[in-house]
Amino acid sequence: MSEQKISEASGPVAAAPVRRDPLALVVRFQSLIGLVVVAIGGIIFSPRRHGEILFLNPDNIANIVRAVSETGIIAIGMTFVIITAGIDLSVGAVLGLSSVVTASMMISGGFGLIPTILAVLVMGIVFGAIQGTISTRFRLEPFIVTLAGLQAARGLALVVSGNQYINISYGEGPGLAPPVFAVLGERLFNNTVPVATLVFVVFAAIATIVLNTTRFGRYVFAVGGNERAARISGVPVSMVKISVYAITGFAAALAGIVHAGQFNFGSANDGMGYELTAIAAVVIGGTSLFGGAGSMVGTVAGTIMLGALANILQLNNITPAMQLLATAAIIVLAAVLQSLVRRREGLGR
Amino acid sequence: MKTIFRSVLLAGSCLCVAGTAYAAEPLVKACAKDGQFIIGFSQANNAEPYRQHVNDELTAAAKEVPGFTLQIADGAGNVNTQTSQVDNFITQKVDILLISPFEAAPLTPAVKRAMDAGIPVIELDRKTVGDPGKDYTAFIGGDNYKIALEAGKYTAKTLLPEGGEAAVLEGLPSSTPAVERLNGFKDGVKENAKIQVVAEQAADWVPDKAQTAFSAMLQAHPDIKVLYASNDMMAAGALLAAKGAGKQVKIIGTDGLPGPAGGIEAVAKGDWAATFTYPTGAKEAIEMSKKILLDCASSVEPTVTVDTTAITPENAKQLSGK
Repeated sequence: MSEQKISEASGPVAAAPVRRDPLALVVRFQSLIGLVVVAIGGIIFSPRRHGEILFLNPDNIANIVRAVSETGIIAIGMTFVIITAGIDLSVGAVLGLSSVVTASMMISGGFGLIPTILAVLVMGIVFGAIQGTISTRFRLEPFIVTLAGLQAARGLALVVSGNQYINISYGEGPGLAPPVFAVLGERLFNNTVPVATLVFVVFAAIATIVLNTTRFGRYVFAVGGNERAARISGVPVSMVKISVYAITGFAAALAGIVHAGQFNFGSANDGMGYELTAIAAVVIGGTSLFGGAGSMVGTVAGTIMLGALANILQLNNITPAMQLLATAAIIVLAAVLQSLVRRREGLGR
Repeated sequence: MKTIFRSVLLAGSCLCVAGTAYAAEPLVKACAKDGQFIIGFSQANNAEPYRQHVNDELTAAAKEVPGFTLQIADGAGNVNTQTSQVDNFITQKVDILLISPFEAAPLTPAVKRAMDAGIPVIELDRKTVGDPGKDYTAFIGGDNYKIALEAGKYTAKTLLPEGGEAAVLEGLPSSTPAVERLNGFKDGVKENAKIQVVAEQAADWVPDKAQTAFSAMLQAHPDIKVLYASNDMMAAGALLAAKGAGKQVKIIGTDGLPGPAGGIEAVAKGDWAATFTYPTGAKEAIEMSKKILLDCASSVEPTVTVDTTAITPENAKQLSGK
């Protein structure tokens, strides 16, 4: 952290550097550029049927954006945390816990749709806030605290579910969930736009506004840029840190609800490894793990890029091994570009 | 007005004709003896050795048929990934969808979408919600309960006729095969009232957890004579624990995987007492695909149960040579 530059502490300035280094510009938009590259590649290498490019088939596009919506929602929350130079490893487990609580509240608890959703979202917020509080109060690395949080959430999910998975069936009466909940697995507007994707897009839009236009957003950048400077200039550092973990908890709970609705199912094992996919999307999106700089649009583009890449590889029947290797290469490339920019800025001063 | 009425009538009668004709129509309209067909297989999780074995057998069986191209997608143990892969297969308009769903309910809508798109769905080893022949074309697989029941009976009659203590290593708790195999074995050993099942522990299908769990069991119950492991991997881990404790325990595996690290070899070497194959159904699935795509079948057997083979010291050497 010691290599952080003071200038970054001044908040949004970091997000909009005065000096336009071309490399910095590339890095800022790296995931958008990457998304465009993958999309062009997808069009070129897409299998065709009767001249139609399968990759651009509306069903296929809907499939891509549906598949990434859960990890996307989580990645948006994760962006806040990573900009403060933190990390949250508990999100996949909180998704599992939320899917289980959602299912059991509606199926065995007999709760309605609104109380269930509110309760699960509040649970996510509280879970995240507790992790944030422990981390700031006892000055613990968020890595450790959220690693423990991961175990705790999986354990709680097993307790709530009684080691079973919970199927969600719909209808009126006890033991059945309100049929409207199933809408999360459907598509709107003439069967084109997956509802899960809508949730993702709306959440992304709100998060972008919060991060880029509010005082809280500026605080998030300030804390990540230089915590001491932020504290001296009156930023409520602890409060900001606790809040960003509450946001990831909220995001994971939201993703858990979407998961339960899409798959009519709650299982303690769900969401395994989602934290790593989300972190990958955030890093590819140009957010620095050192904190202080990052972009919400980048995260969204990074998320969709990973989904589009997986899609085009499968359409061409390329093995899953190649998919992992391609993702690895992209993560390394994104990280290297970032470090180059940091070094150049460092040399420039 | 009259013309409209007439055309409605006409349309109605056409529908009737179409309706009756449909019953005898082939499941896939583009079926042909010498056609080129793509078979999409949506696998639950390639990381499990048993599932890799299924992939290998399917690949081998599909290669035998000149017009068949097999595409395998790995769901990586994630219902979201697997759902999107099924949707990809639908976009590609594969000619037949084979699927081993990672979980039943979550993959049910995706299977319905494939059926609605006119793609026959053959479910391998695991089912989605609904009935074969209606909600999906067919189910091919083994019967976990029956396989474990056979293992239990074998223990009761052959391994422990005089009775004694037995133990069970369960798979991932709350997963369907884990529960079925546990119950099957326990019901099987009931044939011999002198056998007591003194310990049951979950080891999540993996050898390292099995080794730890069985070491602890042997500490608590030094007289365990038979261990039933719900898959071959856990049996391998249990063997390490038994060796470590210096105990002679008769170990039974499940799956009967081939190859140097598999269960058949372990029985042939005398390390385990037996293993019970969990048939992949790969050959049967390709046979059924041939019926649908090449022979234009209008219906197929909705449920095909493939039987287990007991691998014992008597037949293991012969089978491992194969």
